[in-house]
Order: sequence, then structure tokens, then C-alpha cells
Amino acid sequence: MAVGTDQAERDALATRIGAATRLAARADARLTGAIDDFFVAEDSRLDERTRVALGRMLAAVVQGVETDIRRHAARVLAGQGADRQAEQLLKGHEDVVRRLSRAGLLRDRGLMDELIAQVRCDRIAAALPSQAGAPDQPSLLVRLAEVDDGVVAGAARALMTAEARRRAAVEQGGAMSGLLPAERHHQLVWWVAASIREGRIAVSGEDAAVDRAIVEAAQRSLAAHDEGQRVEALAVRLASAIDARAHELGDLLVEALGDRRLILFVAILGRAVDLDFIGARAIVLEPEGDRLWLALRAAALDRPTIARIALALADADPRRDIDIFAEELDAIAAVPVEAARSALAPLTLHHDLRLAIDALAREAGR
Amino acid sequence: MRLDGIPDVPVSHAMIDGEGRLVAADPALLALNEAAGGMMGAALAVPQLATVARLARRLGILVSRGVVVADGDTDLDLWVRAQPESDGVRMAVSGWREMRARPVIASPAARLIESDDLAWDTDGGLRLTFVSIDAARRLGFDALSLLGQPLTALFTLDSDGDGALPILEAVARQRPLERQQARVRGGDVRVLLTAHVRRDPSGQFAGLSGIARAEDDAPAPAAPSPIAPAFTEGLDKALRTPLARIIAHADTIHAEAEGPVQRDYADYASDIANAGRHLLGLVDDLVDLQAIERPDFALETDSIDLADVARRAAGLLSVRASNAGVAIARPLPELRMPAQGDFRRALQIMVNLVGNAVRYSPEGGVVSVTALRTGGMAEAVVADQGKGIAIEDQARIFEKFERVDPTEAGGNGLGLYIARRLARAMGGDLTVESAPGEGARFTLSLPV
Repeated sequence: MAVGTDQAERDALATRIGAATRLAARADARLTGAIDDFFVAEDSRLDERTRVALGRMLAAVVQGVETDIRRHAARVLAGQGADRQAEQLLKGHEDVVRRLSRAGLLRDRGLMDELIAQVRCDRIAAALPSQAGAPDQPSLLVRLAEVDDGVVAGAARALMTAEARRRAAVEQGGAMSGLLPAERHHQLVWWVAASIREGRIAVSGEDAAVDRAIVEAAQRSLAAHDEGQRVEALAVRLASAIDARAHELGDLLVEALGDRRLILFVAILGRAVDLDFIGARAIVLEPEGDRLWLALRAAALDRPTIARIALALADADPRRDIDIFAEELDAIAAVPVEAARSALAPLTLHHDLRLAIDALAREAGR
Repeated sequence: MRLDGIPDVPVSHAMIDGEGRLVAADPALLALNEAAGGMMGAALAVPQLATVARLARRLGILVSRGVVVADGDTDLDLWVRAQPESDGVRMAVSGWREMRARPVIASPAARLIESDDLAWDTDGGLRLTFVSIDAARRLGFDALSLLGQPLTALFTLDSDGDGALPILEAVARQRPLERQQARVRGGDVRVLLTAHVRRDPSGQFAGLSGIARAEDDAPAPAAPSPIAPAFTEGLDKALRTPLARIIAHADTIHAEAEGPVQRDYADYASDIANAGRHLLGLVDDLVDLQAIERPDFALETDSIDLADVARRAAGLLSVRASNAGVAIARPLPELRMPAQGDFRRALQIMVNLVGNAVRYSPEGGVVSVTALRTGGMAEAVVADQGKGIAIEDQARIFEKFERVDPTEAGGNGLGLYIARRLARAMGGDLTVESAPGEGARFTLSLPV
């Protein structure tokens, strides 16, 4: 009896020491995090609103995938008569976002780059000053949706619809789907599937039927994802349908900003200087704007048009400094079109090649 | 300098030369510039205007934006357009109106939208550019098919009792749309539309951002009813605690007591605290109002020292006065002025009078608070060096909800009404003597 009590006391002591050791490790991790946080450079720190919006969007995207997989997998299981497993799957609410963050998977550069860019686009677009046209004239996208050219009208209507859907989803909160490019979506679906599976195993052990149902649901989610229906893709489609001539380009870009359609602006600019959407978006979102001014010169835009674009973006994005731009405007306007084009040439390389080049440069810089 | 007299001037123009010097200006702009220490032929002295002009000159394009310019103790909300020309910048400034007291927020901000409301946006041609998808589905139509359609494809607009369409007024005058009755097309659902107007940088109408709410949820304001005791009692209980909490938290944020916050957020917090105090004052006044309007209202009177009351009132307001750069001269400490009255109510009246005097005093002014005996009455006199009150306004300021200058920030038009009723309930009176430009002199008299 006495021996048993000793044993119990020793166990309790071991548990206590184990917990203390773990706490020490956690304190160390916390300190690392705090130090990292403190030394984040001011210009790469997210402002509070962007951070909150990013957190919401990330959670909404993950939850969108999670809900899809859980529901469909449950339906598959129910169809096989495995009602109990189906219910467990539906009722499971492990925090998938937290699990994936803890595993470091959500720190994925490509995924975060995409989401941060989308959040920034949303915020800048919402803050852009509206520009009225002639009295009673409908705004740019509405007009484009009514032109005789069916290709342009159809693309404009599709973009208008997709933007309204996206805004409704952002304002309502909750799960979102169809935001990510195919590769990112593909990756995320399997991460979420693995996380759901892990949660199930922790509760009820391994179960081949559940595994198969999760795989089937994930594959269904992959098959259903149509990246061509994303706002970005539809804007690119519209830009190529419009196929603006050089002399129309300046007005079209200014009007797209005046209609607060930043994504359309990016797509039109990208098409004009032969950049893919992601490359064009990156230079439009850069607060310094240097590469954007080069791109605008490469598109042979004149001084007043460049100034209008810079002013609208500076009004909408507090990170930009219009005074610095005003100082440099003469020099920017004096850049020869050919020089601007050749300076942009590296950006027109294939997106994946650029990523690889950047990755090598990062490694070399360490 | 006040621009009260110029609200009818819609646009004021000025010309700035290539060196940033003012070379021509309409009177309103000239006055504003001179108040800021500038003069014709010298650099534009109002920094916000100078910034816009400089930007327009350097960018070589039209720049227009809203700026807030301090004018004495009020702020002017101006819309500035600066158009570069060959030899300088032509400036047009509109919106010469004082910013109203901060508590009012007119636009239906997106974050206030309740889940059942239908949000909608139009462009400048009143074509729909956004309609909430979920809310539309609940009302039985497809939001996406309406995008690009005229607003009237979604709503049948009804005229109000006077045969007017509020939306026309809103669009024409660029005022917030407050109550437009409408029906959702293809159904009988009656809704009320509210919206705020979006303007483009040149000040043109660029669209509406609004919400539609089922009419049942937003009943028309009923005819004013007399204040029921139960109502003010409920108001008192329901509002005082939450308001006090709001004020305390906002002050904490403003003082950065819990840690540093960004400057503009700290200032918002101060606005919130001030608005909260304004509301709390209103609650106090409404509770008083309910009491003094009872036919049997009477106050227990006692022997009090009116000079002591006057000194305390002056002391309570000394911080506010020194913030405003105003001095308060109070009765000497040894002076006694026996009177019959209710101490708490007499103090309330004096705080109201001294508070008004401080508010209307120019910076560097003196508010004098004296106590004296005249005939059979003890008197406390509060005199200021403000702009005074015209003879025809002197009776009006003691009426309920009346104010000398309704555009002035702060105050709710109840203070003097309540103060006089209280004075009379103690067997005394509250009177004013004043002439425009010569300050005002309020006298509280109480029986000895």
C-alpha cells in the first residue's frame, strides 16, 4: 500500500516536472516570437486593419475548404450506411486554421503573398475616390456591360457579378470559396484534409472508410474549383476583350481607378506592358511605386496621366507619399519609352521562373 | 474671426502665382487667409490650402480634396479644387460651413448594417453597382441580375406626403438620403431607403451607397408626446451607466493609459468621450425637465451662503476655463451672502451660468462672478466679455430647446430653461442684461 502511494507521488512529481519543462520551452518560443516581432522593419509591418482583414480572409478561405470537405465526406459515409462516422465528421470542430498555423503550413510564401495582395487590393479599391463621368453617364464597368461587342459586354458583366459576390462575402464574413489560384487551392485542400483526418484519428482511431471519404471529398473540391471564375481571371479576360489601343490606354486606366476597379486597372496595365496579372499587381501594390511609374512609361503614358494615377493611388493608400512622387515626376516623365520597356523586361519572364530567380537571390543574400 | 455671415457664398476663388503667393482672392478666402496671419502678395497662410495648391502646381493636374481648417474655436469643412494654369494655380473653395457638434454621424456606415438590411450602391448615373446577395435572396430576387440596371429596376420610388421624392433632393443637393419610401419591384415589400452621397474629387455626384430596410422596422417618428415620468426614469437608469462606461473607456484610450495608440485613434477616443459627456448632460437635463414640469414641483429651501455657492461654481469650472484661455474672477473668500435656497440646485444654476460664460468668452477674456445684496434679495452675478445677446433673443434663450446660435457646438438648449425654473421654484429669479458686442450679465436672485 505504502509502495503504491510512493509510486503515485513519484508520478505526480514527474508530471509536474514535465509540465514545467514544457512551460520553459514555451516561454522560450514566446521570447523568440516577441524578438522577431520587435525587429520587424516598419515598412514590412502590416498595419492593424490589413492584419485583421488578412486574418479573416485566411480563416474564411480555410473554413470554406473545410466545410466542403466535411459535408461531402459525411454524405459519402452516410451513403454507405456509416451514419455514426458521418455525424462525427460533421460535428468535428477542431480548429483547422490554428492546427495548420501551428504546423507552419499557412506560412507558405505563395499562399500568403496571394492573400496579402488580395486584401491590399480590396482595401485600396474601397478607398479610391470615385470619379464621376459626364452627368448621368453610367460608370465604366456598367457601360462596358452594355456595349454592342458581345465579348466585351459578357466579360464586363461577369466581372461585375464576381466583384459583387466577393464584396458580399467579405462583408458578411464566414466561409469563402473560389479566391485562390488553382495551385494554392490544391495545396490547401490536402492540408485541410490531413488536418480533418488527424482530428478524427485523435477521437476515434484510424478508419479506412473515413479516409476514403475524406479523399473523395477533397478530390471533388479540387475538381469543382474553377480559377477562371476568380475576379482576377475575369478582369484579365475583360482586359484582353477590350484590347485597348495605345491612345485609349491612359483614359481607360484613369477611368478604371475612377470606377474603383483596381483589379481591372491591374489587368489592363498588365496587358499593356505584357506582364502577367500577379506581376502587374505586385508593382501596383508597391508603396514606392517606382516600378509602377516605369510600367506606365513603358505604356507610353504622358505626364498628366501618370500624375492622375499616382494621385488617386496616394489618396487611397496611406503608405504612399505623394510629395516624393511630385519631386520625381519630371524625371519619371522624361524616361524614354524604350528604356522603360527594357527595364521591365525581367518582370515579363514566366512567373515561375521569376519565383525561382527571387528564391535564389534570397538565398544569396543570407 | 467668424465666417457665420458667409454661408451663402457657394464658392470662393483665389489665384496663387508660381511662387505660391496669393495674388487675388474673394472676400471669404481673403478673410480666412488674413485670420491665419497671411496677406495679399505673400505666401498662402492656411497650411491645408497651401498644400493642395503646391501639389497641383507640382503635379500639373487638377487636385481636389476636403480639408478641415481651424477658424477661431470652430472648424470649417472645406472642399478645395486647385487647377494649375500657365502662371500659377487657380483655387476654388466651397463648403463654407462650420462643422456641426461632433455627436451627429449622418451616414449609414457599412458597419452599422444589420443582417436583414439590403445594402446597395449606385454609380453617378444611378445604375446599381452592388446589391447584397443574401438579403436580395430573402426578398425573392436575384441581386446579380440587377447589376448595371437603373436603381428603379430594383425599387419603385414613392413620393412622400408633400409629393416630393427625397432621392431627387439628395442627388441634386448632394445631401444624405434620409427617408425615401419605396417598394421592391415585383413584390409588395415596402422599404425605407437611406444612403450617403459619394462625391468625386471635383465635387461632382459620383453615386449613392445606401441600405434598404423593411418599413415595419423603421416606423415614422411619432408626434412629440409629453415626457412621461416613467420614460425619463427609465432613460436615466438605462443610459447613465453605459454612457459613464463609454466615457471612462474613451478617456482611458485618449490618455493612452493602457498603452500607446496611434495618434488619430487617440483623438477619435477624445471625440467619443466628448460626445458621451454631451449625451450624459442631456440625460441629466431631461430628468430635471421631467421634475420641474410637474405642476406640484417645489424645492425645500434652507439657509445657504450664495457667495460660497458662487465660489464653488467658479472653482468647478476653473480647469475648463484655463483650457479655453479664460480667467474667472470669483468672490473673495471671506465674503458671506446669506440666502434662502436649495444648495445643490443653486450650485447647478451657477455652474450652468459660469459654464456658458466660459464657452462664449473670447480667449484671454475674463468671466467675473460676484455676489451682492440688493433690496430684499441676495444676488449672484455672472458677467462675460463674449459677443452678447441681442435684445430680441434675451427672452428666447430661457425657452425650452432654444439657443442663441443653433449652429454652435455643445449645449442642448435646456440649461437656461431649467435654471430659471429652478430659481423661481426657490422664490427667486434668473435674469439677463446684455447688448450685442458687450458681453452678457446673468443674475440669479434668491430671497434672504
